[in-house]
Amino acid sequence: MTSTYGATSSSPKRTMSSTSSVNGVTRTKILLLGQRRSGKTSIKEVLFNALPPKQTFYLETTMRIVKHAYDTVIPLEIWDCPGNIAVDTLGAPLSQFSALIFVIDIRDLYKQPISKLVEFIIAAYHDNPQLLVEVFVHKAEKLQDERIENFRQIQERVQDHLMESECEQMPYNFHLTSVYDHSLHEAFSKVLHKLVHSLPFLEDLLNVFCANSQSPKAFLFDAASRLYVATDASPVDSATHNLCCDYLSMLNAFGPLYRSPTSRATRLRIPAAEPSPDNPLPAETKDRFYPSAAASLHPSAPGTTLTYHLITPHLALLALVPTGVYEGRRGLLEYNVVFFREGVQEICAVEHEARGG
Amino acid sequence: MGASGSGKTSMRSLIFSNNPASLTARLGATIDVEQNHVRFLGDLILNLWDCGGQDAFMDSYLTTQRSTIFQHVGVLIYVFDVETSEMHKDLEYYRDCLDGLRQFSPDAAVFLLVHKMDLARERGATFERKKRELLGQSEKHADVTVFGTSIYDESLYRAWSSIVHTLIPNAAVLSKHLTIFADACSATEVILFERTTFLVIATSSPPSSASSSSSTPSPSPSPSTPSSSSSPEANAFQELEATRYERTSELIKAFKHSCSRVREEFHSLEMELPEFSAVLDEMTKNTYVLIIVHDPTIETAALKLNIRMARRKFEELQGLT
Repeated sequence: MTSTYGATSSSPKRTMSSTSSVNGVTRTKILLLGQRRSGKTSIKEVLFNALPPKQTFYLETTMRIVKHAYDTVIPLEIWDCPGNIAVDTLGAPLSQFSALIFVIDIRDLYKQPISKLVEFIIAAYHDNPQLLVEVFVHKAEKLQDERIENFRQIQERVQDHLMESECEQMPYNFHLTSVYDHSLHEAFSKVLHKLVHSLPFLEDLLNVFCANSQSPKAFLFDAASRLYVATDASPVDSATHNLCCDYLSMLNAFGPLYRSPTSRATRLRIPAAEPSPDNPLPAETKDRFYPSAAASLHPSAPGTTLTYHLITPHLALLALVPTGVYEGRRGLLEYNVVFFREGVQEICAVEHEARGG
Repeated sequence: MGASGSGKTSMRSLIFSNNPASLTARLGATIDVEQNHVRFLGDLILNLWDCGGQDAFMDSYLTTQRSTIFQHVGVLIYVFDVETSEMHKDLEYYRDCLDGLRQFSPDAAVFLLVHKMDLARERGATFERKKRELLGQSEKHADVTVFGTSIYDESLYRAWSSIVHTLIPNAAVLSKHLTIFADACSATEVILFERTTFLVIATSSPPSSASSSSSTPSPSPSPSTPSSSSSPEANAFQELEATRYERTSELIKAFKHSCSRVREEFHSLEMELPEFSAVLDEMTKNTYVLIIVHDPTIETAALKLNIRMARRKFEELQGLT
């Protein structure tokens, strides 16, 4: 897209129109909507505050809009809204947002939530036709047999309503989600992919890495939320994705277990401070300590090793590598990781600069 | 043993069959006694008797089957549901079981598990109250230990690790050798796990120079002289998380389960995290060893080599039992 950068341009670039600047950093805004008790806050807490799914039961009802800032490959701002919010009580024009996630409880009476959803889609159609509309049909774990049926029913009804209101060309997607398995992570990752404009470059880097490391599959994960930001061109098989997700959660949990208050500083070698804004990627970050890990998944020779390398303070590379390659040519593999890391860090630096950080 | 529905079989399925906690709801009631042989540490075979808890069974254990049930008991594990409404009846059966035990196996250790702690509201206070009540009931028996447990967190592994610990004859010897091994690796800590259950068998003891003051400044510990690097390690050791062993068991078991879902088998793990380096690998054919190192200059490859070198010695040690 060759857009004109002028301030008077009638169609400003999308990143500019759909975001706003707070504290100097332009954050991509995601709107989280849905009926009362549909699971919005649970989703936010499980993904971005590492709340154990079982604990979501005790969450209080959200009374006011809560804005949650989260830094990953791009800075995000998630607006967790109370159930009764409407387009005009939102307090911000829809054009500010990049994505709208609408949560529907799969066991709910569909009439109310669907009319609310349609109301927002129609408003978005007029204000911000580029808004991503993603519908999470949530709490899928509560139903066993009827869940596909209910899922399909909700989709049909939404479609019918939108036909009636003549804005069926507004694109939207459906996801079946639950906080108790990996479906929520997978669905939210897919939303995130559409928000990351540097995605093609990250994917290219992963493709190059995979080709040169004989890796059948590699993911770039956001380490804390366990959302994957990008993956290589080979199809994502959800079993592998789930395994990587679990691996990451184990590594995240291991860290604090054997932490000693004195070791961290000496191990990191230099203080792990963020690079200062006027000097975005100083040379000194190069010799910083980067955590890594490897789990071998089969005792005998043609097994697989699951590797983990931290790439930036937020992002980690998880790759499946044949054990033979990992053990025999570990140096080359790590050499590839260094190049991958430099590429990703460069992309992140450009992104950081563009957002005025 | 324990009342019907208190969670005996759930517990067994979690620890010995590698099933996740979410699947325990599917388990049916145990009828009579289910016997299980669990090969634990090569020659040590645990004979697990899971006794159905319905009143009819309990009565028959205490009367007609009394000698079969209570003979050659190494450990009695009695499970109490923390939320039970029939504590009185529970205690009565428990006292009867203690009598039976005194008659046929007076040397048996007794473990009381206050189970389903995840349901209790004030865990700490509830547990203390129950503990006092239970200890009051078991005055005549000397060797009684009480644990609060839940299948949803690491507390279950803590209880079971200490249960199996009493059954391992040479735990002290293993611990001594692990300490030597830890020293050879410049490790802060070495932990030995059983292979299938991932229960803790033995750990290295804290570095001997633990008494040295924390004020000794050693900004650059040199790996060649163990004496200089042992003082920060000793301090580090004291400040490590208290529940780390149980949490490790829990994490590894969960990951093993994830691996088995994609038909892979977890084999070994190495980590270089900001906080520490660690290697988890097979030690003998039925144990795993976890080495925790805080010294940044120690490479994981060196630890792996050390494990390989130590394997024969530890196989020998196990052979002695």
